[in-house]
Order: sequence, then C-alpha cells, then structure tokens
Amino acid sequence: MAILVIAEHDNAVLAAATLNTVAAAQRIGGDIHVLVAGSGCSAVAESAAKIAGVAKVLVADEAAYAHRLAENVAPLIAKLASGYSHVLAPASTNGKNYLPRVAALLDVDQLSEIVAVESADTFKRPIYAGNAIATVQSSAPIKVITVRATAFDAAAGEGGSASIEALAGAGEAGKSRFVGEELAKSDRPELTSAKVVISGGRGLQSGENFQLLYALADKLGAAVGASRAAVDAGFAPNDMQVGQTGKIVAPDLYIAVGISGAIQHLAGMKDSKVIVAINKDAEAPIFQVADYGLVADLFEALPELERGVVVVS
Amino acid sequence: MWHYQAPLRDMRFVIEEWLAAPADWQRMPAFAALDGELAAQVVEEAGRFAGGVLAPLNASGDRQGCRFDNGRVTTPDGFPAAYQAFVDGGWAALACAEEDGGQGLPQLLNAALLEMIYSTNHAWAMYPGIAHGAYECLRAHGTPELRERYLAAIVSGEILPTMCLTEPQAGSDVGLLRSRAEPAADGSYRITGGKIFASGGEHDLTANILHLVLARLPDAPPGSRGISLFLVPKRLPDGRHNAVRCDGIEHKLGIRGSATCTLSFEQAEGWLLGEPHKGLAAMFVMMNSARLHVGLQGLGHAEAAWQSAAQYAAERRQMRAVRRPEGSAEAPADPIHYHPAMRRTLLELRTLTEGMRALGYWTAHLLDEAEQGADPALRARAESRAQLLTPLVKAFFTEQGFRLASAALQVFGGYGYVQDYAVEQTLRDSRIAMIYEGSNEIQANDLLLRKVLGDGGAALRGLLETFRAEAETASALPECSAFASALGHYCDRLATAAEGLAAAAAQDPERPYRAAGDFLRLLGLVALAFAWTRSARLCQGRAAAPFHAGKLESAAFFFAYLLPEADHRLVLIEASRQPLPFLPE
Amino acid sequence: MKILTALKRVVDYNVKVRVKADHSGVDLANVKMSMNPFCEIAVEEAVRLKERGIATEIVAVSVGPAQAQEQLRTALALGADRAILIETDEELGSLAVAKLLKAVVDREQPQLVITGKQAIDSDNNQTGQMLAALTGYAQGTFASKLELSGDKLKVTREIDGGLQTLELALPAIVTTDLRLNEPRYASLPNIMKAKKKPLETVKPADLGVSVASTLKVLKVEAPAERQAGIKVGSVAELVEKLKNEAKVI
Repeated sequence: MAILVIAEHDNAVLAAATLNTVAAAQRIGGDIHVLVAGSGCSAVAESAAKIAGVAKVLVADEAAYAHRLAENVAPLIAKLASGYSHVLAPASTNGKNYLPRVAALLDVDQLSEIVAVESADTFKRPIYAGNAIATVQSSAPIKVITVRATAFDAAAGEGGSASIEALAGAGEAGKSRFVGEELAKSDRPELTSAKVVISGGRGLQSGENFQLLYALADKLGAAVGASRAAVDAGFAPNDMQVGQTGKIVAPDLYIAVGISGAIQHLAGMKDSKVIVAINKDAEAPIFQVADYGLVADLFEALPELERGVVVVS
Repeated sequence: MWHYQAPLRDMRFVIEEWLAAPADWQRMPAFAALDGELAAQVVEEAGRFAGGVLAPLNASGDRQGCRFDNGRVTTPDGFPAAYQAFVDGGWAALACAEEDGGQGLPQLLNAALLEMIYSTNHAWAMYPGIAHGAYECLRAHGTPELRERYLAAIVSGEILPTMCLTEPQAGSDVGLLRSRAEPAADGSYRITGGKIFASGGEHDLTANILHLVLARLPDAPPGSRGISLFLVPKRLPDGRHNAVRCDGIEHKLGIRGSATCTLSFEQAEGWLLGEPHKGLAAMFVMMNSARLHVGLQGLGHAEAAWQSAAQYAAERRQMRAVRRPEGSAEAPADPIHYHPAMRRTLLELRTLTEGMRALGYWTAHLLDEAEQGADPALRARAESRAQLLTPLVKAFFTEQGFRLASAALQVFGGYGYVQDYAVEQTLRDSRIAMIYEGSNEIQANDLLLRKVLGDGGAALRGLLETFRAEAETASALPECSAFASALGHYCDRLATAAEGLAAAAAQDPERPYRAAGDFLRLLGLVALAFAWTRSARLCQGRAAAPFHAGKLESAAFFFAYLLPEADHRLVLIEASRQPLPFLPE
Repeated sequence: MKILTALKRVVDYNVKVRVKADHSGVDLANVKMSMNPFCEIAVEEAVRLKERGIATEIVAVSVGPAQAQEQLRTALALGADRAILIETDEELGSLAVAKLLKAVVDREQPQLVITGKQAIDSDNNQTGQMLAALTGYAQGTFASKLELSGDKLKVTREIDGGLQTLELALPAIVTTDLRLNEPRYASLPNIMKAKKKPLETVKPADLGVSVASTLKVLKVEAPAERQAGIKVGSVAELVEKLKNEAKVI
C-alpha cells in the first residue's frame, strides 16, 4: 500500500495540518509520499522531506499551481493517484475544494473529514454537525480522504529524509483565474461563530482588565465574551454577554475567566466542546462543568497562559 | 433558550384527520383547488414567518413599548418592518376573496396563521388584528363608493382599520356611548366624541388608518338601538388630515407593544356603514370571526406556555424523582419533568392546548362552511353551529390561556417570575383576552341566554347530537369505549342542566345569569371530551408512532384528570338556585 | 441564462438528532425535515439573479424521496420556474448524486449551477465539486459573493484565514457559504402560484445512472460523552492538556 498525502502550504511555508494528515496516513500504514503542488515552493518541499515517516516528496512547481486552483491541481493528483491505495488531504478549505474533484475524476467516492482510522479501509467521521459519528468502510480501489487535522497528533516535522522528485505538471486548465486574496485578520471573530471564546466575569474587577482577555484572544484567534455579572457591572457591553439572555455559543474551546458559573451563564456555553475555568474560588460552580479547571488568581494565570500558547496561524 | 417551533404536526393532524377538511374543501367551489399538501405548505411557511420575523420582536417590543409624542405614536423597533414583510408576504389577505385581491384561502388556514402570530407576538398582532373583520364589514355594508375606495387597500394591507367603540363611561354597555354623528350636506357625516382603548388607533405601520366608529345620529333612539357605525379615515381622500387626534396611549400590564389609544374626533368626516341606528347589526358580520380570533389568542398563549415549560422541565434538574422512566440514567438530580406534580401540569398544558386547537379550528372550518358550503341548508346549519361555539371559544380559550400561562410559569420556579424568561410575558399578554371583544361574562351570558335558551335549545341539541354521534362511533372500539361512554354521560347531564335552567328562568329570570359562567365552562369541558374522543379514535392502533401514542396518553389523561371538573360545574349550576345577595351601597 | 439549483431535503437545522439504539443510524422518525440551509441560500441567489435580469430561467432539482417534492415546491414558491425530482428512497453518496445531476446538466445545459456547499446531514461537502469534475466546469466553492459579467463569473470565497476571489469561465458550478445572502420567506401568492409550476419526477434508472456506492456505514454512534472534569495544578499543565489531550490549541 502507498499513500499520497497532498501538502497544505502557501508556497513558502508548509502548513501544520500536513503533519497531522501524515499522522493519519501512518495510522493507515504503508509508504507515505507527499505531493507539493505550488509555485516557487521548493522550501515547502524541503520541509515536507523532513517529516518523519515520509518516504518521498513529489514536487510539481508551476505557475498553474500557485494558488492551488482546483481545476488545475485535480487532474494532476488524479493522474498520480493510480499508483496509490489512498490519497489524503487535510480538510482545509483547500483540501475540501480540490479533493472531491479528484475523487470524481477517479470515479470513486470520497470520505470527508475523518477523525479516526480504524483500519486501512475503515474510518470514523462526524455527521449531523458532529452530533453523530459514523464508522464507514470503503471498498473503493483508491480511497480518497480528507482529514480533520485536530483529530490526529502531528507527525514529527524533523527526522525524516525523504527524496524529492520533481514532476511535470498537468498545466493550466484555463477555466479559472486567481484574482486576489484578503488574508489579514482585521477583526476578532464573531462571538457566536468563533472556534475559541474567552469570557470574563466579575472576577476581572474592571472593564480595563478585560484587556488581559483581549491579549490572550489575539493569540488564540478567539472572540471575547462576558458574563451577565460583568455586563451588569459595566465591564463589558451588552452584546458580549454569553448566557441565557445573551448569546448562545458552542465553540471548540471556551475559557471562563473569573466567572462563578451561574446557571444563566452555563445555558449560554454548555455545548462547548472543551470548557476551561480559571477562578480563585475552588467551590465556584463553573468547575462542575469545566473539563479543565485551574484554581488560581486570574491576574497571574492570564499572562502566563498568554505566554504559553503558540500564536495560531 | 426557548424558541417557538410551529406545532405543524398537530396542525396537520387537526386539519387533515380530525376535521378531514381537504375532503370538505372539494365540496366547496371556492376551495376546490386546495388540497392537504398545499394547505400544509401554507401553514409551514406561515410558521416560518411567525418564528423568524415576529418571535424575535416579542420581548423587545414588550420592553420598549410604544412612544407617544404630541399625537404621534411610534411602535417598537422592528414592528413597522415586520408589518411590511407580513403584507409583502401576502399573509394579510390570506382569507380575503380573490376578486378583492386576496388569496381566497379558507378561514381554517387563517386560524392556523393567527394561532402562530398570537403565540409569537400578540402585541404586534393587534395592529392587523381587525383587518379581516373590517374587510367583511365593509364588503357587507359599505356603499359601492366606499368599497371602491377602501376595500382593496384593506386587503392589500396598505391601510389598517381600527375599532373605536369604547368610551370612558361605555365599555360592556356600548349603549351608553355619547359620540355624535351629524349628517353633512354631501351625504357624509361629521363625528364628534372621545374614544378610549382603541388598539392601533394611531401608529407608524401605515400611512392611513381607517377608524370604525360607533356614534349616535341626532334622532337616534336611546341605548344600543340608537348606535350607528361610521367609517372615519385618518387621512381623507384628498390628502387632508381628518379631525381625529390621538391624545395618549395606555401603560398596560401586557401587550405593551400594542398602542392602546385615546382618540378625539372633532367634526371628523366620515361615512355611514349599514343602516342608520343599525351599527351593532352592521358589526354583527364581524362578530363570529372576531370572537374566534380572540379565542385563538388564548390558544396561541397556551401553546407558547406549553412549549417553553416543556423544554425547561426537560433540562432543569432538581431533586430525585420518586419514580424514573425505564432506562433513564441515575443522576444526583432528575429533570423536573420526572416529578409527578410537573408531569401533571405539563400534561394538562399539552392536553388542553391540543384539545382547544381541534375545537378552534373546527369553529373556523364551520365559518368556511357557513360562507362557502355548497347548499343553503348546510350553510345555515354551519352558521348556527358557529354562532353557538364562538362565545364558548372566546371565553373558554382565553380563560384557559391565562390559567395555563400561570401554570407554565410555576414550572420555571423563581426563574418564571423573572423577565429573562418569556413565560411571564405570556402571562401578562394573555390576560387581556378575557376582557376585550366582549368580556368573558358577556360571552357566558350570550352563550346561555341567547344561543342556548334563546332558540329553545335547538342549536345545543344539534351540537350534542354531533357529540353523541362521535361517542357512538368511538364506542365500537374497545379502547375508546370508556371515553365514549363518559362523553355520552356528560352530554346527557349538560342537556338536563340546560333544560333545568330553561324551566327555572321562568320563575327566576336571574337564574341563568348566575349559572352562565359555570355552564360555559361545563360546555367547554364536554366539547373537549368530544375533541379527545375523536382524537383517540383516530389514533387507535397507531401507538407505535410517538405522535399517536402521545395523543392516546393525552386522551386518557383528559378523561381521568380534567373531565371530572365537569361534575364540579354541574354542582355549581345546581347551586345557582341559591340567590346572590346584593352588596352594600 | 439558465440556472440549475440543486437542493436537498434534510433534517431541520433546529432538530437535535439522536442516534438509534441499534447504532444503525440516526433516528429520523417523525423528525421535521426542511430544505438544507445552504441550498436555501443557493435558491435565493438564483432568484436574485433572475430578479436582476441576469438569469432567465431557474430549474430546481433534488435527489431524494417522494416527500422531497415539498422542498421543490418551496423552491418554486421562492422563484424557481421548474422543478425536477430524481426520486429514490436510498440515501445516495455524493458521487452518485453528482452523476445524477450531471445527467440533468447534460439535458438542461445551464450556464450556472448553484448548490449548497454541504448538506447538514452527511456534511460531505463534495457534490458540487464532483459535479464540476464530471461536467468539466469551473468550480467556485464556499461562495460569499458572486459577480457576473458577460461569460465570466467572479466568485469571492470563504477560505481559511480570509477571502479569495477567483474569476471563472462559464458554465460553472458554485457552492454557497453562509454569508452569500439571507434567504427570503416565501410569500403566500407565490406559494399558490407554485402549485401550477411544472414538477417532473424521474428515476435514476431513467437517467441511465448507476448509483452504486463503495462506502458502507458500519455503525453510527453518539459522540463521546463529556467526562468529568479535572483540576490542573498550573498554567503549564493546562496548556499541555489543551494541546495534547483536548487538541483544541
């Protein structure tokens, strides 16, 4: 068996998600090759070659692949795929964009966003917005799969020494043209759709102290919310309130800072995937629902937390 | 957080099965093109509108209320836009005739729309509330010129009508009103007087408002026989502002987003609707549907109360229950809907709401038959049946709506008393329906004295025949025979009580008045027994599906826990032999 | 310009689904069904293009059971001119659906196909892209803005970290993202008129398409229950757990 992993990158830097996808490939077993399709992407190829467990890196370096337009990369991948049992891509917007096109060109079904590998032909994936997990078996001759990066521990980015092989590209399909991109994250994400939310309560003691939350939020790409108590005390505006009468949020990560955990508030965030509570009162009700609770002075813990997290790209 | 979910499944059950309305529509030329599928689509889209556009404005409308400033009224944020969306969506004209620009759909579907509008935003619903009735009145009693000038605008929603009847000294006793109308040379009239409690008497939803004003002509006989109905627009056809002014709005317990206005008419120009001194007769055509609509307010509030309480009780955990459902997980505290007291309250909420839906929609369907039925005998019978049922629907549903809102509030515990939860607004908003559009006491008198005793009991006998026929059909099914027998039993006892009151009235004319309230409540319970007998019969053998199993449970609950109140009402009807002393002066 | 809009009948987004006790799937008995929210956005976009005079005809198509007619009637009430139901009671995979849609594309020859980016039941996010491959059309996925001029379509797409704008040659396939538009409510007059608009039903076999799938669902489970929380001793421990155990940062 041989697995082709399509690298996620921006022509300059290999994206972390590729490492997680390689990890998923390792769970499947077999030789792992990584395809880097891009323009001026030799640095990416070199990074890919260093991934532990990767046997070979294929590089298709052409202007047509500069922005990984699906009409251009899909034929390339489809042509290569016949040598592999599996084709994997991270479930990034890129991967989600081109990989189904590949699958259709190969006339095979695709498995989207797997979160676990049960065996070489059986995988788990979320359905119904994650309210159910399906175990799916594929009998396709080539298994085309997108991988949810957060579900797999990344493979080591060092230690590998794969060969790098240049490929001839498949050229321009001429159906689409890149016009522009706006990648600067000017605003914080919206509270109800953010993947990470950090909320402050009365424990922050003042509106100015919410700055500590904003600083951490910037590091995590998070939205900032507030408890009703904090809003009533004037520390934060009404539209930041998370709770029964404010906004209902269900992010992947919810960090409640200086919030006691009144039922009102819990109603607004209880469906968060992971809940963290930081409060100096060990008996605060918030700890009943927190997955991880830290009994500490938030004024010490917050700056430490900010230093400890890597900036999210 | 609770969000309103249109009870489409139950609505379909009532329309398609309990009423079997689609088959009846086939026999009414006006509705021959309508089928169950289209009806379901209409109701579903109406539900989306109510839930998506009106519900979000309910709490904010209540908090903000209306603003009065020097004769002008500003409604809560979003109300005018919601009204425009309502009109643009064609919902305002659902039951208006196609030749007048409406959709020509049945009152039955309008009832479903209205139930949802009242569930989601009663205050907002007050603004278009009278439009359909005014449409009927203008169609029946307006001169060709008036119809030409205003009918299309009412149907399209461009203009909103309001009722201006009540005066400070004249509420239930409209005959005491003092507003005057003087004929002008050109056949129009000049109306002078002060009106209070005019809902939507002034607002910012439409450029023009059409006031339907009761006033006395110079040569009018005294009392209610001397009242005439006039159409008085806020803006006259030539664009001038008429001599009608809003002097203020009320600060109320509920429906705070509805502008309840005090209006002054000072020689305002208007036109007669119907015959001189026959104003109440002209309004008669509106009465059935107006009463039904107010009854639907009770149903709407009951449904909202039920939904929100059910959701809360499923999530809130307090104490461990004496018994737990099979297969449920052990926990330090159980959801409160495990506790018997809560189960009882929630079942009552569900059972009464669903029972009222069947009866209310039946009444609407009767109004359709009365107007569109294929043959005159059928139309007459439906009309007479509707006339009997509308005071019952108005008074019984509104009383239940308020009572059930209070019961639902109790489910929330302390949180129910707090504005963050919608139920306290439901309680406040629902209270008015027991009062306006003819107070519940007036309805009870109308039911017993005019509709039951007034025709020698013929209409009541007809109704009980229908109830007994259902009991007969249901008794063939073993699982329903107990229900059928109970239904038959109470039909008999109600008939006996009515006869007893008829006989007693000869000696003691006040007797029926003392018994009217209890008689109405008794008839309400018997009507619900009829509704649940039929529902149970239709769901027999289908208990595999949760929906039908729930219906069978509700029916059993009704007969065991709710119907016994009928005995109490019968006792009180007997007790009304006892005269009531007068209070000291 | 003719637009084809493909829509799916799915569980209403408000419904909290439950896994069946035998793990064979999700319990859909008596559950409210609606048009997939992303497909509603697709229909809305098509209707707006028609209102602007750019589109001349909108054909709505759905692959699903007979009851999917309800959703097609809704599409007609929202402004589609014709509807096609490809009737099947089987839950088909995205590739099979894409093949069926290709048959419709071959027949109808639309200049633009607009569909939702993913169905909220399967969450596959494949059908539009696969259809693009099978037809050889350009694809603009996760669209948040469309600008048509002549035979070119500018699509602004929601991508990780921001927005990307592409120019596609027509004919093209577009899949919608949430921010593309806010769907309207169907008006009552349009609901009534929709009753008379044509709704054609065909079977997959009529289109000569084989719908066999290589994917088999072995079981469906509820997501892992929230475990009892733990107290961590330090910020460092918290960070480590969030990174390695919870994998949320």
